[in-house]
This record gives sequence, C-alpha cells and structure tokens, in this order.
Amino acid sequence: MKTGLGATIIRAGRRLLSSLPALFGVLVFTFLLMRVLPGDPAVFFASGPNAGKEEIEQIRKQMGLNKSVPEQLVFYLSDIGHGNLGRSMMTGQPVLKDLRERLPASLELTFTALLIALIAAVPLGVVAALRPGSIVDHSVRLFCALGVCVPTFVSGLLLIYVFYYLLGLSPDPTGRIDVFTSLPPQHTGFLSIDFLLAGDLEGWWAACKQLILPAVSMALFVIAPLARITRASMLVSLGSDFVRTARSVGLSWRKVVVTYALRNAILPVITIAGIVFSTMLGANVLVEKVFSWPGVASYALDALLSSDYAPVQGFVLLMASLFVLVNLVVDICYGIADPRVSIE
Amino acid sequence: MRFVSFRSATTILATTALLLIATAPSHAQSRAETLRYVTGASVNTLDPNIPGATRESFGLSMSTYDRLVSFGRKQLNGKWVFDLDTINGELAESYDVSPDGLKITFRLRKDAKFQDGSPVTADDVKWSLDRCVTAPILGKAQLLTGSLTSADQFKVIDPLTIEVTLPKPDKLALPNLATVYPMIINSKMAKEHATADDPWAMAWLKEHTAGSGAYVVESFKPGEQVTLKRNEAWNRGSPNRPAFFKRIIVQSVPEPATRANLVERGDADIVLDLQASDVQSLEAKGKLKVVSTPQYNAITYVSMNNQIPPFDNVNVRRAIAFALPYEDMFKAALFGRGMPLYGASWPDGKPLNGIYPFQQPVKLDLDKAKEYLKAAGFPEGFSTTFSFNVGWASQAEPMAALIKESLGKIGIKVDIQKLPDAQMSTLINEKKLPFFTEGIVAWLPSTDYFYRNFYTGNQRWNYSSINNPDLAAIAQGARFEPDKAKYEEAGRKLNAMHFDLMPQIMLWQPNQDAVMAATVEGYTYEFHRQVDYRNLSRK
Repeated sequence: MKTGLGATIIRAGRRLLSSLPALFGVLVFTFLLMRVLPGDPAVFFASGPNAGKEEIEQIRKQMGLNKSVPEQLVFYLSDIGHGNLGRSMMTGQPVLKDLRERLPASLELTFTALLIALIAAVPLGVVAALRPGSIVDHSVRLFCALGVCVPTFVSGLLLIYVFYYLLGLSPDPTGRIDVFTSLPPQHTGFLSIDFLLAGDLEGWWAACKQLILPAVSMALFVIAPLARITRASMLVSLGSDFVRTARSVGLSWRKVVVTYALRNAILPVITIAGIVFSTMLGANVLVEKVFSWPGVASYALDALLSSDYAPVQGFVLLMASLFVLVNLVVDICYGIADPRVSIE
Repeated sequence: MRFVSFRSATTILATTALLLIATAPSHAQSRAETLRYVTGASVNTLDPNIPGATRESFGLSMSTYDRLVSFGRKQLNGKWVFDLDTINGELAESYDVSPDGLKITFRLRKDAKFQDGSPVTADDVKWSLDRCVTAPILGKAQLLTGSLTSADQFKVIDPLTIEVTLPKPDKLALPNLATVYPMIINSKMAKEHATADDPWAMAWLKEHTAGSGAYVVESFKPGEQVTLKRNEAWNRGSPNRPAFFKRIIVQSVPEPATRANLVERGDADIVLDLQASDVQSLEAKGKLKVVSTPQYNAITYVSMNNQIPPFDNVNVRRAIAFALPYEDMFKAALFGRGMPLYGASWPDGKPLNGIYPFQQPVKLDLDKAKEYLKAAGFPEGFSTTFSFNVGWASQAEPMAALIKESLGKIGIKVDIQKLPDAQMSTLINEKKLPFFTEGIVAWLPSTDYFYRNFYTGNQRWNYSSINNPDLAAIAQGARFEPDKAKYEEAGRKLNAMHFDLMPQIMLWQPNQDAVMAATVEGYTYEFHRQVDYRNLSRK
C-alpha cells in the first residue's frame, strides 16, 4: 500500500496515459464528423460578389479539401504531431494562436463563475440541509429552480439591462476590457492576474468589473446542481453515525458541521463541480455571445456555422484534453478530501 | 510583515487621484476624437483580396489603402449615397479617357506618400494592378467585369503616369478601379516579404498594411477588434486636411441587442447591423440619428429553380408570383424598412424604363394564381420545400411562415427548411434547392451587369438557374453599347422578359439602417455597404 504524494502522482500519470487512446479517438471522430456534415466551406467562404468556380477551387486547395478524405486525415494527424492545428478561414489566423488567445478568456470567466457558484451554493446547501423542510430549505429550492429555469442568455440580457442600461453601474458589456484601457503585458492571459502583476490596480478593477456580470449570469445557472448535491450529501452525512457520535460527545456545532459532516459530504460536490466546470467551458457560448466575450466557445460555434473545419477540430481536441485534465484534478482533490481514495 | 507602509500607500493613492483629475479632460477630448464603430461581423484580413475576406475587411481596407480613383457621392431622397457616374481621382490627380475609349491615362498626385513616407509611384500602381489580375485573389474575378484581365494592359509611362489599355471600350473599366480590390500597395515593402511560393506577398499582406490610406492600423485582433490611427499626411478627402477622427475602433459585438444598448447609451458612435425592431424603437425615441438608405445595389428574392419541376413550368412561377403576400411579408420581415419591388402598375403592359431592379406589376391575387396553376396543369397544387439560411432567420422566418400560409390557400403545400449558412450556399451552388429566399449585391449596379451576373450561366449567383439564350445575348450586347438610347431600349426588353419569364421574384431592396450618435455627420451609403470612416466627422 502506497500513500501520500507519490501514490497520487503515479495514479495521475496512469490516468493520463489511459486517456490517450480516447483523445486519439476524439481526434479522428471529429475529423470525420466535420467531413460528413453537409455544407462545403469553400463555397461559403467564396462569397465575394464575383466569386465563381475558380475562387471556390482556390479556397478548396488552400484548405486542403482537394485531396481525398484518408489523405486529408493523414496530413491532419501529421500536422497535429507537429503541433499545428491548421488555419482558421474565419479569422485568417492559425487555430493554435486563436485558441491560445481565447482560452484564457474562457477559463478566467469559467473559473470566476464556478468560484461564485461554489461560494453561493455550498453554504446554501448546508443551510438547507441543517433545516430540511423549513422555510429556508424551500426558499433555497425556489432560488435554485429560478436559476435553472432562466437560460443564461436571458439572465445575461436582464443583468445587462438593469446594471448597464438602466443603472449605468457596470461598464459596457463588450469583452474583457474597456476599449479605452490599455492592456497589461501578457504573462498568464488572465487579465485579472496580468494587471496585478503589472501593478495596475485601476486596470485590474476595470477588468474585474467587466467580468462580474457574465460570471454571475453563468453562476446563476450552475448554483442549482451544486446546492442540491451539497444538500443531499449533507443530509446523508448529518444523519450518519459518526456525526451522532460527534454530537453526543459534545463537540462544538462548528466542528461537527464543518469538520466532520461537510468534509465527508464534499466528495460528490467536487465531482459535480468538475463536471460542471467542463460543461460550462464548452456551453458558455451564449454568455460569450451576449457579452461579446472573446472566448473559445463562441469561436467554435461561429466556425461550426460556417463549416470552418480546423477551428472546430481544434476546439474539440482542446475540450477533450481539458476534460482529461479536469478529471485528473478532481481525482487529486478526492485524495486530499478523502485519503481512503488513494488506496488501491 | 507589511508589504506597503501606510504612508507610501496614501502617497500612491493621492498621486493616482491627482493623475486621474489631470488626465480626465484629455480623456474626454480623445473620446470626442475617437469613433467607436460596433458590428456583428468581424475583420479577418487586412488585405481584402484574400479569398474568404469578410465584408468588414472590405470596409476597413477603404481607409487603410487608397485606389487610383474613387466614387463621388450624390443625394438620393435626401440621403447621401455613392455615385457610380462620378469618378474622382484618389491617388490619381487626373485621368483621361481616349476618344475611342480604349486607353485610360492616370497622372498620379505628386504629394502622395505611403504610410512609411516613401512616394507613391507608377511602379507601385503597376505592381498592385498586376497583382490584382495575376495572383489567385478575389480582385481577379471583379476586374474581369471591367475587361481588365492581363498585366500587359498596365503600362508605366513615367514615374507619375500610368496607362491602362482596354480590348474594348468597357464602361465598367474605370468604375472597377474604384472598387475594393485594386488598392495601391507599397510594392517595395511588399516585395521584401514576397517568397518564391508567394510572389505577391499574400501571407504578409494579410496581417500587415502597406498602403497610403487615411488610417494606419494600430492593432489588429482578428475576430475581435481593430484600432486605427489617423494618417496625418493623408489629404485625399479634402485638400490639406486629414480625415476627421484621430482614432477609429472597430469592435465586434455579436449580440444585436447589446449593439443597440451601446449606441443608445452613447458608448458606441455608429452601428449598421441592428435588428429592424431595435432600429424602429431607437428612431421613435429620437435621441439618435438614424439614416435609412434603401440598398439600391442589393435585392432580396424569392427564387425558384427553373430547371427543377414543377418550377420549370413558367405558369407555376407566375402562379407563385401572384400568390405571395407581399405587403404582410414586407411588414413582418423588414417592418416596412426598404423599397418594395412589387405592386407596380404598367398601364400599357410594358416596363416603365430600362433600369434594373424595377418594380414588377405583381401583387397578391389568389384567383389569378389559381388560374395560372390550372394552366400549368396543377389544379390541385403540389408539395415543395422553401429554404432559407439560419443567419437570415430574423427576416426569413416570418416570411417563410407567411408564404407557407398563403400558398396553402392555392393548394401548394410548403415545408419550411432552415439551413446552416454553409450548407445553404453549397446547395445553391449545386443548384439543388427548388424554392428559397436569398439576396444579392452588385458593387457596380448597371442593368446589363445585373442581368449578366445574376441571370446567365451555370454559376452560383444565377439563383433561378435560368438558361435563356435571348436574354443572355441582349445582356451581353448591352455591355459594350455606347449609345444611351439603345442601352435603355435593351434594358426595357430585358425587364419585359423578366416579367414574362418570371425566373425569380424580386421582393424588395432592404434599407440599410445606420444608427449613430446625434453628433456624427457625413454618413454616406457606399457600394461595399460598410462604413467608410473617412466620410465621418463629429459636430
């Protein structure tokens, strides 16, 4: 039996290795799927007022579509091997560059939203579980139901309407930073961190202000599953023997609820948080659209609508890799929350 | 441990506050001198010639590059629009067309300089025009419509004179040189970045500008934002004066409601692509300036594929033309914002003039439609699909529903098919859609140009797939017709044929609604349908 850090690393490494075939499958599957979808990107992009057959052929050649599908797949795989994800017709940039610029924006938004959601959901769930069936429990349930019922773009537009249009409290909802603010030197791509590194507090505050509304509208949507899971698992844990024992020996309320009950109840919450995070990253396209957030999801959607193969393939690959990573992190978090998990 | 002592923290705070106060007025000043333009689309290349370039890239290139000549402007119903018949010099100080119409000589401005300070010479002009007709780029197909096809046609006479030779006296040669593509590039700079594989520096010019235009690209984030800085040396607009705005910010904001909010709150200065409903409510509030121009070089159609049964039968097409609920569609799709192309009355049954597009004498008349359907041999009607693309859904969805309802009354069962944009263009190109709605734009809207490009040949823009040798011959003949009266006559013939054959149904010319801050002036509707930043100023 191995315990501690070593075991965790070995487990993580094994996990990573076993996910490689899955990644490869995703790669080939997306590639084939894009080719099967109806719609010829060359025709779509040859849309100048005089674009004729010649232009369409030209674009086809540029995108490598004049070759047979197996040939294209071989070229594609060898390109991926060289770290080249191809070029987007839409933005005219290498996909890798686009994703590298846009991923931090999506991650920053998703992390913030998840943080807000967790900060709100865990206490809500705990409070609801402590008084099941009470007014508090019902109001938490109502709040969660409302959050889930309202689609993110509706809550986004409502938040914009109230805080930007009516009250003028928040800055205009156009991307990560006010157009008149100059950007900090890029280190991490996370504006809130880069501004701090540059020591520009004013810029940091400006970036945070831009972040609040989209993050809140995303968080509203995911508070429900997190709070419900917290409540359910807290109920189980509060009703279990060890909590009864802890209570009976007269431990403080805080110790009983936070240290014993919550720590045991948090495992499913971490699992759900991991899943929620991955879903949010891909599914926050509506929020990105409403707030003109230059993230990867809206990028992929635009690409999909115009049958721009390379960005969609790059995006799916990125998402698959992130999913693997998130699962890994969740595993490691398990180990920390519950050392028994590390035992093999 | 304390990282910052209390005293130094207060000092920093105080300094920041002081700085803020000190910079506040200049910030306000620079805001007035900055134009923030928001759009749902985005710029994807700095060279509009690259295949796949977006319309937003076309608009941008008008300000970053100069051309030899440019279109003048005229007033149409009190609104400024581009004028195809007035060609002004831009980099050319003057030009002469030889009496036989076969030679155009351009004399360049002596004071014209590229943004790097080097003078604009005839060699640069030749290189740029050669590139346009030789390299595999978009300009090639465009210049072809003006009989400009080979590098041999451009000759350098002296460093400031260039001569263009034409095989035929083509009316569209000169206007073609004012379009987006034949921009004049700093050839020395471009050649430095050319490679053996890429002799026309396409890869480099996609990401860099080497022009003499009114604005210099300061930053370019494809798909997000472009910022431009004024070129102080540029004086092609008005003598000795650069463009008005010191800075231009072109920003992509995908959500139309957000664009409407931005311009209403005064955070954005101008926007073109709002939803018709938003334009109407903003106009009603009266705080902003709304300039609505019918896009007189654009047309929205209901198209029928003339080769696919039952639409190969002219009476079926006529029946459809009399069964569309035009007025309701116009209101539902566009809120009535545009120029209708239906409901004319032709007292003697002949076209009123030879200009295309024109109003056809069609209106909703179900009895007449039923008669045509009977004559076509479909008294009981038939089933078909009506397609439109997702990108157009806000307009096309209500239209499709109304068409379905109305055609149902004469027994035609319509299934509505909503297609992703790329799929729609593919199906149109492959001529597989029987019945659909689409739009067209012509940069150089003359009657023969419309008929040649949109009603002949087995090519994508011939939506109706009409193949009528007589129509094609008249349109081809009109192209080189120098006599105005004869040209008009040919136009009348074509229009009469259009109504008779009814290959597709012209619905309307949608308005372009430019919504701008009350202080913004000088907006002109341009052939490329984008904002030309050089036209604008602030009161």
